[in-house]
Amino acid sequence: MEEAAQEVFLKAFTELGSYEGRGSMEGWLTRITTNTCLNLLRSSKRRPELTVSDLTEDQTEWLDKNLTDAATEQHHSTERSLVAADLAGRVLQSMPADDQLVLTMMDGEDASVKDVAAITGWSESRVKTQAFRARRRMREAVEKLLAGRKARRQELGSARS
Amino acid sequence: MKDEHIISLIENASLAILSENDLAVIHAHTKECSDCFRAFEAAQVSLLLLKEHSIVQFEPSPFFHTRVLATLRERQAVNDVWAFSRLWRAAGALASSMVATVAALAFLTFVIPDTQVATISQASPNANGYSAEEVILDQAQSDEVSDGQLLTTIYDGDEETR
Repeated sequence: MEEAAQEVFLKAFTELGSYEGRGSMEGWLTRITTNTCLNLLRSSKRRPELTVSDLTEDQTEWLDKNLTDAATEQHHSTERSLVAADLAGRVLQSMPADDQLVLTMMDGEDASVKDVAAITGWSESRVKTQAFRARRRMREAVEKLLAGRKARRQELGSARS
Repeated sequence: MKDEHIISLIENASLAILSENDLAVIHAHTKECSDCFRAFEAAQVSLLLLKEHSIVQFEPSPFFHTRVLATLRERQAVNDVWAFSRLWRAAGALASSMVATVAALAFLTFVIPDTQVATISQASPNANGYSAEEVILDQAQSDEVSDGQLLTTIYDGDEETR
């Protein structure tokens, strides 16, 4: 994360002369940030698929909590948010860079297809297709984790009884 | 068919922006279909994870600013070297040709005249058919002749006075 932030600052400083003032400064910085992060994600090695046994105790607890009240109101606390964010990061790291980008922007930050297309330079149809595939991959990864956790809980339940 | 429909519904757009009508359809369907229920449950957890992930704010380390400036200076130094090499690539041919021209002029000015003088001084006796020794001997002979001529001239002069 810090490496990406450093790279963004350096690029913004060195390419400040190329900013022509046509668009907003925020948009220009967002494009630099997005492209830098995308390049870093593409160059970094993808982690293997995450399994329940790879999770920390906190992450397992978070999943358990969300299995029992997935559809109900979540109990927000800073600690729980950090655990969830860390888990999300681990799940995302097992996915392709483009998937990570589109999921973070569209589902995480509620960016529209048009916004993502403008920032990344992709066509809107590509953004939609990418988002569709990314959601499927993310859902399947989480579904496996949840299934693994459910199976583990059942094992523990039957062992106690 | 219904399974595919529900799954595609939750994959086409973020759950956060689904309409009330879509959500009602999903809830109604997931009560009967366990596969779609699991998919919907996973989609909900995925969305929650992504939301939490985007909320977290990045706090750089205390030396972040120093490190960024140091890296910037390093890159600028590297860029300066590259700028010189680019300049050399552009003007290198011109500079090389100028150096070659100056070297050629210096050679023609200082080296060639010396060799010409030496060559002339060495080649001139041969060209006239005399060596230096012969010239000296000739000179000696001519001196002797001139002595004889001198004596003759003296004696002739005496006879004439008599």
